[in-house]
Formats: sequence, structure tokens, C-alpha cells
Amino acid sequence: MAATADDTAEHTDASDPSPAPGGRRPGRIAKTVSVFGELLITAGVLLALFVVYSLWWTNVIADRKADKRADKVRDHWAQTTDSGPGALDTKDGIGFLHVPSMKNGAVLVEKGTGTDVLNDGVAGYYLDPAKATLPTTGKDGNFTLAAHRDGHGAKFHNIDKVRTGDPIVFETRDNWYVYKVYSILPETSKYNVKVLSAVPKESGKTKPGHYITLTTCTPVYTSEYRYVVWGELVRVQKVDSKRTPPAELQS
Amino acid sequence: MYGWIWRHLPGNVWVRALISLLLVLAVIYVLFQYVFPWAEPLLPFNDVTVDNQ
Repeated sequence: MAATADDTAEHTDASDPSPAPGGRRPGRIAKTVSVFGELLITAGVLLALFVVYSLWWTNVIADRKADKRADKVRDHWAQTTDSGPGALDTKDGIGFLHVPSMKNGAVLVEKGTGTDVLNDGVAGYYLDPAKATLPTTGKDGNFTLAAHRDGHGAKFHNIDKVRTGDPIVFETRDNWYVYKVYSILPETSKYNVKVLSAVPKESGKTKPGHYITLTTCTPVYTSEYRYVVWGELVRVQKVDSKRTPPAELQS
Repeated sequence: MYGWIWRHLPGNVWVRALISLLLVLAVIYVLFQYVFPWAEPLLPFNDVTVDNQ
């Protein structure tokens, strides 16, 4: 292609929306309509880009961050050999959640459910409105967790694949806490904080015990309602020197 | 609007196309890095916790 001045001039004319014959410029209405059309196209492209951002890019960023933190936690576990109290590392995460039926690998669990925490591609345990009872304390209570359904790692994306009887395993430095799903609430109000109770009555329980609660939003891609899965502690297995996963995770 | 930008870019058609591409990439970068992270919490798509507010 020759880059002459003539060539450029030709292209300038050609790119004009509607060069009227005789050098007449397009009328004011035609111009307004054309600008309006371009604005509509721009809006459409912007929305499409936002979808790409929220369903793809946030996952890329979040997974990258979560992997880095998970490595840190594993390193930390490998370095500290004393098993006294206070060995729990809450800064980078307290452990990993394995839900084989969600097919999402090991999800790092961190403190808090604010967007700043959850956006890093982790599951967070509740501090507010009701504080989660960590299984490491050994006390009766509810280990309540939340994670994103879409975007930001989408760690609970496949929560609808979890069935009653499926295992949920929480891994800490010293123990595997094996839970079994006993109740599912596919849709509830986002104000329904009772699902986080120490004894979640809606799940059918009336006595204190060691429970785990997973919450996320539903239906997918929106946050109209909340999806809740409840599990109960079946057993605690000591971590051996090879970190052999419990039978529930071997399949 | 876009025609106006195109006409005000310097160089021949290839240079203009290259500059346009760079402009588009710059806009996407600004959107992904600053605008969308700001807009996201304002939109009701990604609230996963139950609370009483």
C-alpha cells in the first residue's frame, strides 16, 4: 500500500458516514442519529466487556492470588512442627475445604466474609452477623462459610451438584474434619441469618453438635437468593506424615 | 464520533489502524483495572453472604 497524501485523503473521504454528492455535509438530524447509534453500540460493547470481566478475568486474578496464599499456608505448615495451641495461622488462611462433589479442588479458608476477603478466590468463615465456631476449637457450634458462585474464583459454583450424604472435608495442619451433608436449602432470603445459628433449626436439627454451613448466592449469575448446604461432623482424622487424604477424598 | 477520531489521527491508514488498536487496548485496560472493580460492588450480582442489613 502506497502511503501517499492522495491515498490518505481518499480514505478520509471514504470513512465519512455519508458524504453527500457535491461536497454537502450530512444534515444535523443524520449526524445526531449517527452519534446516537454509535453510543448504543458503545454501550453494548461495554456491557459485553463487563461480562467478560466478571465471569473470566476476576477468576484469573482470584485464582492467582488464592494459589499464592495456599502455597504460603502449606509452607507455613511444613515449617512449624510444634502442635501446641496458637499454631493456627489465621493471617493467610486457616485451612482447606474439600468438597469432591463440587469438583473445585482445595479451597483456601480465610477469616471473614467481606468482599476484600472473598474476592481473592477463597471461602471465608463468618464473623458477622454470627461468628463461626471453628472446628479446631472442638466446641459445639456451626462452622459457617461463604464463597462466590461466579467470578472471583467461583469456588462454590457447583454447590447445586452437592447431594445429601456427600462428604465435605476441612483440612487443617493437624486434622481432617470429615463432615457429611444432611440438609440442603436451595433458596432462601438473603436476610435469613438463622441458617447460621449454632443449631440451625431449618436444617432439622434441635440439639447442639458440630455443624458446617456453606452459603452462596443463587440463581447463578445473580444474588437474588441464598443457597445453603448443611453438614454434620462424622469424624476427625489425624494428619499422618504423608498427609494421606481420608477415604472420602480418594476416588 | 468514531469517524471524528479516525479523521483526527495522524498518518496513513495503517498507522491510524495501529493507533486505533492501541487506543482500544488502553480503554480496555482502564476498564478492567479501574472502572469495573469500582462498579462491581454497586451491582447486585455477587453478594454471597446472609446478613441482616
